[in-house]
Amino acid sequence: MSNFAIEARQLVKKFPARPGTGDKNGTPAPPRKRWSFARKKPKTMFTAVNGVDLQIERGEIFGLLGPNGAGKSTTIRMLCTLLEPTSGTAQVNGFDIVRQANNVRRSLGTVLAGERSIYWKLTGRENLEYFAALYHIPAAAAKKRVEELIERMEIKDRANELVEKYSTGMRQRIAIAKALLARPPIVLLDEPTLGLDPQAARRVRELIAELKREGHTILLTTHYMEEADQLSDRIGIIDTGKVIALDTPEGLKRRIDQQEVIRLELTGWHEEIAGRLKSIAGIEHITTHRQGETDLWEVNLHAQNSRAALPRIVEHISSNGTRLVNMNIVKPSLEDVFIHLTGKALRD
Amino acid sequence: MTVQSTTLTRSLARPTFLSGWRALWAVMKREWMIFVRYPSWVIALFIWPIIFPLSYVLTAQALSGRDGSGMAQFQAVTGVQDYIGYIAVGTIIWMWQNVVLWNVGFALRNEQLRGTLESNWLSPTWRFAYLLGSSAPQLLSMLMFLTVSAIEFVLFLGVQFQGSLWLTLLTILVAIPSVYGLGFAFASLVITLKEANAFVFLVRGIVMIFCGITFPVSILPDWMRPVAAWLPQTYIIHAVRSASLSSDGLPAILGDLKALALFGVFWLTVGYLVFNWMERRARRTGAIGQY
Repeated sequence: MSNFAIEARQLVKKFPARPGTGDKNGTPAPPRKRWSFARKKPKTMFTAVNGVDLQIERGEIFGLLGPNGAGKSTTIRMLCTLLEPTSGTAQVNGFDIVRQANNVRRSLGTVLAGERSIYWKLTGRENLEYFAALYHIPAAAAKKRVEELIERMEIKDRANELVEKYSTGMRQRIAIAKALLARPPIVLLDEPTLGLDPQAARRVRELIAELKREGHTILLTTHYMEEADQLSDRIGIIDTGKVIALDTPEGLKRRIDQQEVIRLELTGWHEEIAGRLKSIAGIEHITTHRQGETDLWEVNLHAQNSRAALPRIVEHISSNGTRLVNMNIVKPSLEDVFIHLTGKALRD
Repeated sequence: MTVQSTTLTRSLARPTFLSGWRALWAVMKREWMIFVRYPSWVIALFIWPIIFPLSYVLTAQALSGRDGSGMAQFQAVTGVQDYIGYIAVGTIIWMWQNVVLWNVGFALRNEQLRGTLESNWLSPTWRFAYLLGSSAPQLLSMLMFLTVSAIEFVLFLGVQFQGSLWLTLLTILVAIPSVYGLGFAFASLVITLKEANAFVFLVRGIVMIFCGITFPVSILPDWMRPVAAWLPQTYIIHAVRSASLSSDGLPAILGDLKALALFGVFWLTVGYLVFNWMERRARRTGAIGQY
């Protein structure tokens, strides 16, 4: 059996672009044969995934990071057989995602759409029993497995209540339990901690780490850098449908070892200052983040030589009515690597 | 990185012929449990069967005059003495088709809106089982609906079912494939079209006008009658009326039953083919995950 739990080669997915979307990646599709003499205008196609190559080894946690619309979810949807690739191939647990789709589904546990992926008018237990039948788990094994997961997800006291009465965190745990019912070799988790409170999110992260120890391979997408950094053995960064970097978290950080990040906290920020700061030699990227509804802004400047650039930075800020509250020079984090590679923050 | 000795390579899933049936049964059970947890079904079951035909019955009474003299003409055209039974049977069959279009037709769409369609689609179960399984409890609730309707017609409208219960049941049984086949095709199209209320209104309007729910098809204009002959509901209504209201027996409905059997094969095939087409198309376009 292949060492790779998931292997994708030049995976491409194109969708017909909706009228008026003005898609930048649009490429005209080849004209289709029709039983018509009328001349058809070729459809514009939107390329969501543009030649993704992935090799995920057995037993590893692989983080797939990318801004919204980068192609993460489309890639996951192809791997779990919900979508057919336009071109390219992929194997999951050694099975082809198009020709052996049912074998792929038997090998996978997938969490998509979190709490919405289960029935709110059924109890937690009824949901698990239902999905156990759909996954063709023999009746006796299914009964045992459902009880195990109810225990493990810490919902024993409320397993017979309707899911509509659960908290978001409990519903997410049921969604994860559903994915684990068949004890699948590979688990796909699409944003598993999205919308959870910190305590529930921590519990889910602990669970992911436990799954790795039990021998599951995990493909994880997340918006939270710290989560990816903490959990992933390797990380693939995807942008505009392509994997633009793939390495261990430490390996990725080493790529911008020469850089430093000047982290400013200030009030009275406006876009005009950004333009001026960008003109300073050695400043490569600027990202800004407003602290809630306040006038306090966090501004990160990626610089090759921060000490040389500092006097000019301070000069530009102070001459524009902006008040500097705090300033640090820090080593780059995974988020800084992401910004360096994609030119945008993950939350964009 | 090397493969760990503890790495999992095989899941607990063990597909067998029996596990396929268990999956189908699980879908039926799930649908039934969700159905009974929305209490509005009680209203649909007990109140709607009496309200809907009543408007036509009262219209008929108004048109026939205080002494009922106008009814003779109706009886001459239809050959039926019990005009209330005639209307009640027609309207109930119309309601059956209407409910199938809404419930079976929107079964997958409702799953899609809830967000559960994808999680079902992710499992290794035969995908047509979701549609079949969702329809079975609906069929059971419709049989309850037809039974309650018949009892209410007798109790509140004074309908006298002089025909054969077994022939009536046989007719309903033979009619099921054509009614549900159309529902399956419709359910598959709704996944692609997303919104199909206008189409439901169109289909039930066609059934209402062409199939003679409250009047005989013979009074339709010449160009409309051939259209009626291509609609299975025309045969269902005629056969159920004959079987339940008259004592003419099997020969009176044999032609209808043959036509319905053919319609059943046709519509079930259409339903299955449209579903497969939709399923393939959804894999290409991602329609399953789109709201």
